[in-house]
Parts: sequence; C-alpha cells; structure tokens
Amino acid sequence: MSTITFDKASRIFESVVAIEEVNLHVRDKEFVAIVGPSGCGKTTCLRMAAGLDFPSSGEVRVGERKVVAPGPDRAVVFQQFALFPWKSVYDNVDFGLRNKSVPSSQRRDRIAAVLKVMNLEGYERSFPHQLSGGMQQRVAIARAYVLDPAVLLMDEPFGALDAQTRVLMQEELVRLARVNPRTVLFITHGVEEAVYLADRVAIMTRRPGRIKEVMDIRSVREAERWENRTRIEDVMDMESFIHLRTAIWKSLREEKSTEET
Amino acid sequence: MHSLLLGFITPFPDSQEDSPLRRSRRRVLVGCCTGLALFAIWTITTTITSLVSPGRFPSPPDVWAAARQIVVVGYADDKLWQHALHSLRLVLMGFAVAVAIGLPLGIWMGAYRRLDAFVTPVFSILRPIPPLAWIPLAILWLGLGDAAKIMVIFFAAFVPSVINSHAGVRTIEPHLIEASRTLGVRGFAHIREVLVPGAMPMIFTGLRLSLQASWTTLVAAELVGALAGLGRVLNVAQQDIYPAMILVAMASVALLGWGTTRLLDVVESRAMPWIAARA
Amino acid sequence: MSAGADRRPSKAEIWLLGAAGLATFFGLWAAVSGFGLVSPRFLPSPAAVAARAFFLLDHPFAGASLPVHVLSSLGRYALGFLLAACIGVPLGLLMGWYRLLDDMVTPIFDALRFIAPIAWVPFAALWFGTGIGGPIMVIFAGAFPPCLINAYRGARFVDIKFLEAARTLGASNLRIILEVLLPASVPSIVSGLRVGAGLGWQSLVGAELIVASSGVGYMMVQGQSAVSTTTVVSGMIAIGIVGYLVDLMLRKLQAVTQRRRGLA
Repeated sequence: MSTITFDKASRIFESVVAIEEVNLHVRDKEFVAIVGPSGCGKTTCLRMAAGLDFPSSGEVRVGERKVVAPGPDRAVVFQQFALFPWKSVYDNVDFGLRNKSVPSSQRRDRIAAVLKVMNLEGYERSFPHQLSGGMQQRVAIARAYVLDPAVLLMDEPFGALDAQTRVLMQEELVRLARVNPRTVLFITHGVEEAVYLADRVAIMTRRPGRIKEVMDIRSVREAERWENRTRIEDVMDMESFIHLRTAIWKSLREEKSTEET
Repeated sequence: MHSLLLGFITPFPDSQEDSPLRRSRRRVLVGCCTGLALFAIWTITTTITSLVSPGRFPSPPDVWAAARQIVVVGYADDKLWQHALHSLRLVLMGFAVAVAIGLPLGIWMGAYRRLDAFVTPVFSILRPIPPLAWIPLAILWLGLGDAAKIMVIFFAAFVPSVINSHAGVRTIEPHLIEASRTLGVRGFAHIREVLVPGAMPMIFTGLRLSLQASWTTLVAAELVGALAGLGRVLNVAQQDIYPAMILVAMASVALLGWGTTRLLDVVESRAMPWIAARA
Repeated sequence: MSAGADRRPSKAEIWLLGAAGLATFFGLWAAVSGFGLVSPRFLPSPAAVAARAFFLLDHPFAGASLPVHVLSSLGRYALGFLLAACIGVPLGLLMGWYRLLDDMVTPIFDALRFIAPIAWVPFAALWFGTGIGGPIMVIFAGAFPPCLINAYRGARFVDIKFLEAARTLGASNLRIILEVLLPASVPSIVSGLRVGAGLGWQSLVGAELIVASSGVGYMMVQGQSAVSTTTVVSGMIAIGIVGYLVDLMLRKLQAVTQRRRGLA
C-alpha cells in the first residue's frame, strides 16, 4: 500500500513559516495534484514526501512509514529535468536501475520498453543537450518510470516546456496513468492541467501554506465519461470540466486578492 | 556528531541543522585548532626534538629573533621597513605605469575593432613569453638597478590589464550597447558612459591579476640581483644560510601582497556602487 | 553587434590590419637595430636573433644545445606540474565534499596564498641546491593553487539538483562520487589544470633563472652574463613557443570536455 500522508506537517525556514499544519492523505494508486499561488509551499510538500527535506513539526509518511531519506521507491521528476549532461539517454535511464542491482539483461529490456513507451526509440546514444525540452522531460520521466516506483512525485514537470509540447505531454501522462496507475503527487501552477490529470485536486493557501480544500475530480470524470474524448481540447470543452476549473480558479483568486490587500 | 559524519554534500540535513552563523563559527574554531596544531608541530619538531635541523627550517624562536633583528637593527644594509618601502615603491610604479597604459589600450581596443585587429597579432606573439623571462634582457638593457625591475614589472602587469579590460568591454551585454546607440551616444562619450562602467568588474579582475603579477615579478627580479628590497633580503639570507630570515622576508612579501590586494578590494567596492554588495 | 564605438571591419580588413601590425613591429625593430641607433649588443636585429636561434639548435651553449635545454626544462616542468595536479585535484575535490576538511585546509591555504611561488626559491636552494628538487618545488608552488581551487569549486558548487536526482534514484555514496560529482567537476578541473600549467611554466622560468644548472632559464642567465643578447632573446622565443604549445593542448582538452556536454 503506497499512500502519502501529511500529518500536521509544518516547515519553518529561519523564522519564515513556509507551510503550516498541512494535512493531506493520498490514497493508494491515486493521482493527486496540488495547486496554489507561487511560494505557497507546494514544492516544499513534495520535497518532504521525497525525503529531500524534513518537516519542522508533524510528520510525513509514505506507506505508513515516516520518510527519512530519498529513495527509488518515491521517484522524483524535477522541473529542471536534472538529467546528467555527461551521460547518454540510455545511461541516464539506466542509472537508477543499476543502483537496484537488477541483472543487466533485464535492465536492457526494461529500458528498451520504457523508452518505447515514451517515444524515445533511437535516441539511446544521444546526449541531453542534443534533445529538445520536451524530449529531455520524457527522458526524466522515463528515468523515474523504469524503476517501477510505487510513488511518483512530479514537481511542475511540464513547467519548462512550451505550450504545445506541454499539451502532448499531458495527454501522454494521462495515457500512462490510466493504463498502469500508481500513487502520484503532482505539483502545478496550471489549474486546467490539474483538473485534466488528477483524481483529486488539493488547493493550497498562500504562505504560510495550508490545504484549503480538496476537490474530487474523479467522480465527475467517470460520471461524465471524459475518457471518451481523447483530445485535451475536447475534454476542456466539456461543461463539467469548465465548472470544476472555474471553481478552483475562484478559490485561488481569493488567495490572490487577500495577498494584494 | 551527525553533521561531521555527514560532512559529505548531502543537501538536506546539512542545510537544516546549520545556520550560517553556526557554520562560520565552526569554521573559525576548526581553523584556529588547525593553526594551533600546526604551530605545535612546528615548535616541537624544530626545538624540542630537533627532528628538523636548524639549517633546514627555522624554529619559532629563531624566526622571532630574525624578525627582531631586521626590524630593529637591520639586515642586508637596511631595516625591514626600508626594504619593504623600496619593494613597495617599485611595485606601485611598475603597476601604475602598466595600468595607465594598458587599461586605456584595452578599452580602446574593445571599442575600435580596427585597432584590435592591428594590435592583437603582435600581442599574441609577446604574450606567451612569461614576464620573468624578460629579466635577463632587462638586466642587459638597464643593469641591476631599479629601472630594470620596473621594466619587468611593467611587462608583467601590462598584459592582464589589457586583456581583462578588453574582455570586459567585449562582454558587455549587447542590448546595453544598442540602447546607447539608439539614444544617440557616440564616440568618447559612449566609451566613458557605457563601456568603462560596463567593463568595471573585469577591469578590476585585471587589476588584481596585474597586482599579483607585479609582486611575483618584483620578488623574482630582486632575487636575481638587487641593491635593496625584500627580494634582496631573501637573496642575502639564502647566501648566508639564514633560513629564519628567509621566512621573515617571505612573510613580509605575503603581508604586503595581501595588504595591497585588500586596498584594491576597497577601491573596487567604492568604484561600483551599482553592484549589490557581495556577501 | 559591435560592442564598441564603430562598425565591424570585414575579414579582409582584419587580416590586413593584423599583417600591418606585425610589419610595424618587426619593421621598427629592424630599423632601430639596423640604422645603428643603438649598439647591436643592446638590440640585435631580428635577423641576428633568428640566426643565433638556428645556431643554438645544434651547437651547445652553457652546456647543451637549445633543444636539450628545452627538454631539460620540460622534464622538470612535467614532474612539478604532475605533482601539483595529482595532489591538488584530489585534495580540492575532497575539500569540496567534506566541509570539515575544507575548514581545516582553507586557512592554511589562505595564509600561504600571497607568497609568490618564486619566493620559495631560497628555501628550494637551501634544501636542494641546484638539484632537480628545487625547480620542482617552485613549479609546484605555482601550479598547485589553481589546480586546488578549481577542483574545489567544481566539487563544492555542483548543481544540487544532480545530487538530489541521484539520491532519489537510490545511488550509494560511492556511485554518487564516481558518476555524478566527479563528472560534474570535470570542466572546472580542466580549467584549473590549464591555469596551473601556465603558472607552473612561469614559475619554472623564474626558478631556472636563479637556481639551475641546465634548462632554458639557465641558458638565458648565462647568455646575459656573456652579454649575448641574441642568446637571451632566443631563449625567450623558445620559452614562449613551448608555453604556447602547452596551453594549446590544454585548450583542446577543454574543448573536448565541453563539446560532450553541449557547452561548446
């Protein structure tokens, strides 16, 4: 069971309270997106689930065990890709597998499979600087995916991409997520992206960040059968989609206006 | 101690546990401990156990005695401050002339590509010749006196000044240049108001390198042959087999070098008020 | 976009101006020496220098011919530089990774930093006489700081996202060092080697002027004593050429490492 639980988690950076008593429970194989204004602490939450940071008070648990260190069971996809520029695509994807002491024949097969899924066939020997932004991000996702992690943590993974590539990546991610679901925590600025991808969307307040409300998308999505529409723009046209999106916008707008006063 | 074991770069526990204040305090503490430990080793090996013979490396009391000697009584025909002053004078003169010619030349070369094209090949030929290699020639031309030293110091300090001020002008962001152009600023005003301030950081890098080169060259030149100055002290001390005095002279050179560099830093911080103060 | 105050000259103009510059330089030189404005002892003509240089290629002066002197210098240089690199780079890397080591070594280093490498010559003379140890020590003093500092910077300022990525992918400490930290530091290390090579060569020249019994610097000093300006200038040329070639090689190395990462 790979759940993620934020239990009254707070984080203070040298007297600045970044997040305060965040409570959030991500169920097993659920896709949860966190949206919120800039600087609200959503990345901090993800980093704590990853083990790259630790709460000043409260607890963060994955699978009911307290998070004490990073590891391949909670694979991270970074916004800046974080691909090793001195390693080829193949070696980048291979990196995590080697740490798991998977025998080499199996590794080769797994890497080939994941590269195929991410449409990167033929680029095994290429180096990151030779690839476009979208391809680099796909390599980053492949690197995380090949480990078959129970939990996937994605920190604004499509933020550095141009609009068109972003749309393609979102469609791909949805495809992957529905076919082989796992627990995902997804941080984003984009409300539409969150509604499109997630089962539930958590809205965070501005700093000090707290979970303001959590909206259930999945029930609406299944009731309205969004999966019948394959293209993103068709889904975004649906009334149910617009309704959810607007509700979240309104909630975020309150945060923005209280900030400006 | 958790953080000592994890002195490894782990980005997380480290940043959490150590505030900058704690870290700098710890650094000072460790630095002092290391310094004391080294001093202890130095003293023990040279005085009590005589592991190191006095002919090879001086003991702390020897150094103290040598320092007192040169400060109070004098060594190699002069007292310490006279030697130091002599060296300092030469460095500053060579440095000043080199910068006075090199800096404007570099900026000018940066501003006018034709001048750059004319001068650069000659420069490329002269540049690989290390400044110290000019010493024999300088001695042939000007003898063993001060003039030869200044000439060599000039050559040493000249090159970094030109190169860095030139690079400084060249690496100014293109849109700043374009802005100046569209506002109708040309020629000398353009150089003065845009290029020089824009190139300031690199100009100061060049100055710092020139100063460093000046000191190195001076010491070398004085070692080869001189009538006064810290290099001469080094030379005579070596011939007298007086290691303690060698150490005193080395320390003096280092101190003067450090002092002049600090002065330059102060000038630099005043010269560029538009750059945010560095931590 | 020309940074300066003028328009960009054409390629042909650049070539012409460059040639003109060189011509002016050599022309002035030849003129001053040729018209007897100064004694030929003081400033020999370019032709005289060239002739002497060729002469020295197979006739000994101060104990050996020019190439042999150069080889002798190169030998010491290589040893001193290798020593500086083999100690400086690993030490710098370790200092970058282990803060405790950093805190211990940095104060010592800062204290010694302002001592010009050449100032070690008296001690070198005292300890090694005119043996090979002296120049090696001075070369080491010159080449060591850049090797150390650049390796340190490369290790310390590794982009933290690489470390985080490696950790989230479950890499052990050893693997992180070998496959992440070390490769990430390579550009900095190579840059340090390049600067160190340059400073080391300069230090060698200085050392040989004072404490040597062979080598190009020694040859120049002997030339100076014998008032043979042509010999001195020949030595300068040889030194310049060697220094340039060494730098060229390292620049190539730098380009190779950069190309792989798409930095070139």
